Amino acid sequence: MDYEMDLEPTGPQVTVREAEPYRVDFRLTAVDLSFANSLRRVILAEVPTLALDIIEIESNTSVLPDEFLAHRLGMIPLNSYNCDQDLDYTRDCDCEDHCVRCSVTLSLHARCSSGIMSVYARDLVVVGERINDKIGDPVTTDPENKGSLICKLRKGQEIKMTCLAKKGTAKEHAKWAPTAAVGFEYDPNNNLRHVDYWYEQDPVKEWPISENAAWEPAANPDQPFDYDAEPNCFYFDVESIGNLEPDMIIQQGIVALQRKLATTVSVLLGEGEDGHGGGADDAEMMGANDPDAYEPPEGIDGNMTAYGNGAASAWGASAQTPYGATPYGQSSYGF
Amino acid sequence: MNAPDRYEAILLAPGESKIDVEVDTRLPSAAIFTFRKEDHTLGNMLRHRLLKTAHVIFAAYRVPHPLTPEFQLRIQTDGEVTPRQAVINASEALIKDLGILSREFTKEFELRKAANAANQQQQQSTAE
Repeated sequence: MDYEMDLEPTGPQVTVREAEPYRVDFRLTAVDLSFANSLRRVILAEVPTLALDIIEIESNTSVLPDEFLAHRLGMIPLNSYNCDQDLDYTRDCDCEDHCVRCSVTLSLHARCSSGIMSVYARDLVVVGERINDKIGDPVTTDPENKGSLICKLRKGQEIKMTCLAKKGTAKEHAKWAPTAAVGFEYDPNNNLRHVDYWYEQDPVKEWPISENAAWEPAANPDQPFDYDAEPNCFYFDVESIGNLEPDMIIQQGIVALQRKLATTVSVLLGEGEDGHGGGADDAEMMGANDPDAYEPPEGIDGNMTAYGNGAASAWGASAQTPYGATPYGQSSYGF
Repeated sequence: MNAPDRYEAILLAPGESKIDVEVDTRLPSAAIFTFRKEDHTLGNMLRHRLLKTAHVIFAAYRVPHPLTPEFQLRIQTDGEVTPRQAVINASEALIKDLGILSREFTKEFELRKAANAANQQQQQSTAE
């Protein structure tokens, strides 16, 4: 009864329907609801990005109080290019307070000489070194490349501050969210009857049909209801804020999930070897900092290295992978 | 004021273990795993995969309280594999699937981008 391997002989399938600079719309099939939902949850909350975290205010004579400005600054999306690979969390970094490896420093200085002056996100400038040449730049998506409005100044008013951007996840604070929204839909025709529509006379007439309904057939009303049917086709619409590219968000989400699972495996394996718990060195048992703690099983290549050695990243490597030459080419997953 | 620090939902406290395994003595080959600093994202995914894994008779998870970042996963197997091994197998299968997903997505995304670029060029040339 070894049906483990032939259960999903081909694994997840993807159809990218739309790819725009800040959006990706795709259809995910041959997975179960929990898998798709975990992907949705992880890209909403656990993809690391960069956001302003500590603001040192030197001078603020604007009408907005310091806290107000600091909060507004925190919400500004900053370019988080390769943030997961290049940057450490400040709490994990070896440095005393913060350094190039775990933070980006930006400065904001504006003084109004006449009339009313608007201070925009583009006025934030990176000072000093940074780990790559994109990280920390404020995201500007408007035609004039101004970015979001931070505050307005009247004649003689000035703001001057040093801002520290750090890596974090939306689970800690929503300012680190990579996505504005993640659209998620399955079974647009309600064949599975997971939805019980409210209606006055006729639900078919009163409820609009989803655009995704064109992608799969509606159940024949004459057929008896299939109680064992499970959803296996999911429609995602991922909208990026601009700090990470939409495909990066998905790839980072996948890596975050793989890390969670790999931690589970390494902890359970580690416990099995030295009796129960051990507890001698929790950090080592976690395998979080130890690339050798978990050996990936056969048939897994570059994707697993994401938490092992950062150099061959999941997305970087797979972009160039010749599909035929991977272990999948010979395995039961056969591409 | 008395709100807990936000990092408490993410970081293990000093000395806290990531996963505790408690053998359920009421039934043969059953165990309850307590995952710390994890939520439905991992719990539901593991549970669903375990149910589809060979030799697993029972798998379910619960989050005892929405304010505590942990979940409990209860597993009973038919004795061929230990519950611990079942979780390891399920995790490895999921890692594998995620690897395939990553590869598939990259491939499809590049294809779509190439198609978009070709479309744009065509539009430009017809406009001229």
